[in-house]
Amino acid sequence: MTVNPRSLFRLRHHLVTRAALILYLFFSVFIAAPCVAASPSDTLKIGVLAPLSGPYAAGGTSFVQAATLAVEQANAEGGVFGQRITIVVGDTQGRVDVAKAEALRLVSREKVSALVGAYLSEETVGVMEVAAAQRMVLVVPVAATAEITDKVRREYARYRYVFRVGYSLPQWAEMIAAFLSDRKVRRYAFVGAGIRWNQELGETLERSVAPRGITPSYTAYYSPGNPAFDTVAVAAAASSPDIVILADPGRNSVSFLKRLRESAPALPALSVGGALGDVRLAASIPLSAPVYVQAAAWRGLSPAATAYVERYEHRYGAPPVGYSDTLPYDAVTVLVTAWRKAGTVESAAVVPVLERGEFPGVAGMYRFDAAHQAHWGTGAGALCGSFVRWERSGARIVFPPR
Amino acid sequence: MASPLPQVLLDGLFAGGTYALMAAGMTLILGVVKVINLSHGAFFTLGAYVAYALAERGVVSPLAAAPLAAVIAFAFGVFLGKSFINPVRSHPFALPVGTLACALLFEQAAQMVWGPHPLLIGSGAPWVGPGGLVIRQWGVIAFLSSAALLGGLKWVLSARPGLPLRLIAEDEEIAGSLGMDVDAIRYLTFGGACAMAAAAGALLSPSGAVTPTMGRAPLLLSLVVVIVAGMDSVAAIFLLSIGLGIFGNACAWLLSPQWSYVALLAAVCLLLSARPAGIVVLAGRRD
Repeated sequence: MTVNPRSLFRLRHHLVTRAALILYLFFSVFIAAPCVAASPSDTLKIGVLAPLSGPYAAGGTSFVQAATLAVEQANAEGGVFGQRITIVVGDTQGRVDVAKAEALRLVSREKVSALVGAYLSEETVGVMEVAAAQRMVLVVPVAATAEITDKVRREYARYRYVFRVGYSLPQWAEMIAAFLSDRKVRRYAFVGAGIRWNQELGETLERSVAPRGITPSYTAYYSPGNPAFDTVAVAAAASSPDIVILADPGRNSVSFLKRLRESAPALPALSVGGALGDVRLAASIPLSAPVYVQAAAWRGLSPAATAYVERYEHRYGAPPVGYSDTLPYDAVTVLVTAWRKAGTVESAAVVPVLERGEFPGVAGMYRFDAAHQAHWGTGAGALCGSFVRWERSGARIVFPPR
Repeated sequence: MASPLPQVLLDGLFAGGTYALMAAGMTLILGVVKVINLSHGAFFTLGAYVAYALAERGVVSPLAAAPLAAVIAFAFGVFLGKSFINPVRSHPFALPVGTLACALLFEQAAQMVWGPHPLLIGSGAPWVGPGGLVIRQWGVIAFLSSAALLGGLKWVLSARPGLPLRLIAEDEEIAGSLGMDVDAIRYLTFGGACAMAAAAGALLSPSGAVTPTMGRAPLLLSLVVVIVAGMDSVAAIFLLSIGLGIFGNACAWLLSPQWSYVALLAAVCLLLSARPAGIVVLAGRRD
């Protein structure tokens, strides 16, 4: 049997063409379509960077849902300069390189007017470089590392476009310290995934609680690949703390709480926010001892917070967790308010407005300091967040006292 | 207060049981189908979601969910084995990439169906043993199930029904020349291994949160166990799983939780450098 090489080439060419067509269809239907919202030219675009796939997809999904809700609310109030606002989402996958590439795509190809994101501290530090290079306003909702505001402080001219609405690690630690004091905690165990911000929070918290006479009895960071929950739970309980602090916003905090309850059913636990704020877990969270969750805002904190929770629940079928959704909502709200006040979306005009203005959000009134950090904490006029305690019927705010 | 060390070692025993449970199916795939199946963790996840779906309907029993999960995973596994694994088996680099793509596809599908949020299944109160030892229900189930599953596998492989599997594992050409339908045995074996992974996922679902990506960690550890133990001895796989579980927990206790994973993988590297073909290699085995 003889084979004509030309026919083989044609066959290969045919196969390649078909494969290319299938790939094109796949990407346009499954990849491009969800990322690029239909946006006529008379709309203003906000680029939202969040992980929609991978291990952080839960937080990323509620991040995007909240940003969508904020934009819908802004459009219902008339948009900005009569123009509608849309969001264009970049899936960061929880990876620094992808986050930077997506930020660049949103700026250069999608022509967004500002960026909101990213999710992890590492991603956000990467995205800051893109925002600085492109001179584009970046509002950071949840990434907490001190490096973000340190950079703004040290190199103002370069990073002046970056503002953080979420709490920084020192602010976060200060709020936790106040809560521990209120609960009369003397010793605590600190447990979390061995990622950068957890370790920074653990160290910062240790310094914050020392003046209050509170000391850590046990500190451990587990590897996300092999969490060794059993050993950590046993060791944490064996150190006889008054409370265990779970510094992990992801699914591992849920798994760890189960193991902890098996090892020490009467030991209270505090989640610093994230997955354990999800009401869908409330029915199966072991409540043999108090489970507290820290949140930026919660139903009942203020009329604005209650209205937001009800809108979110009505739109998505479950209430927000109070962290990875509430802060992105406020990030978009603050940005839109700044655009309205500035009368333009030009970064050069918006930055001074953000620096000097006051911006109402779900968590309270946002003001930015010289490092472009929103004022969270326990002092007068600061955004203070909420600590809630889970009960079978739901969660109620237990701190700050109202 | 009594030393927590016995508790740590007991938990290590249970952790080893979970590795063995996953490794059981992986052994079959690596030994008979001879592919590195990176979608094995996805079937583990599928089993956990089946358990969750049943729990939502009032059947909170991983033991009841395991057979259902196994049947569903077997059907998927046979389909995958027949339509994808068998045709591209001769391209060694295509299979890991292809099975990884299948795993990611499943993760995305699970995320669309159940959402990305962690879901919980009630695990029941643990038993308290002598000296205040906490005996976790799911841990006992994992240990006993893995012992039963691997014991059953050992029996099948040593008895007459396992002859085709042994022969294909040894030499496919000879098996084919004896009239065996090698392709069919391969995809049925693949389906059976997927069923075992799904049963493991259902049985272990109460141990933590059910999420689309929950199968990734057990996949790596089970792969490590099978490669280090070698595929010639089911007993070695069980014992190595238990050993690694206890070793990992002991390191977490004595060093730190972060170091336990490093120590575990370092031990694996040492074992492999000493015995590249696995701890147990039968005499006269042809590679």
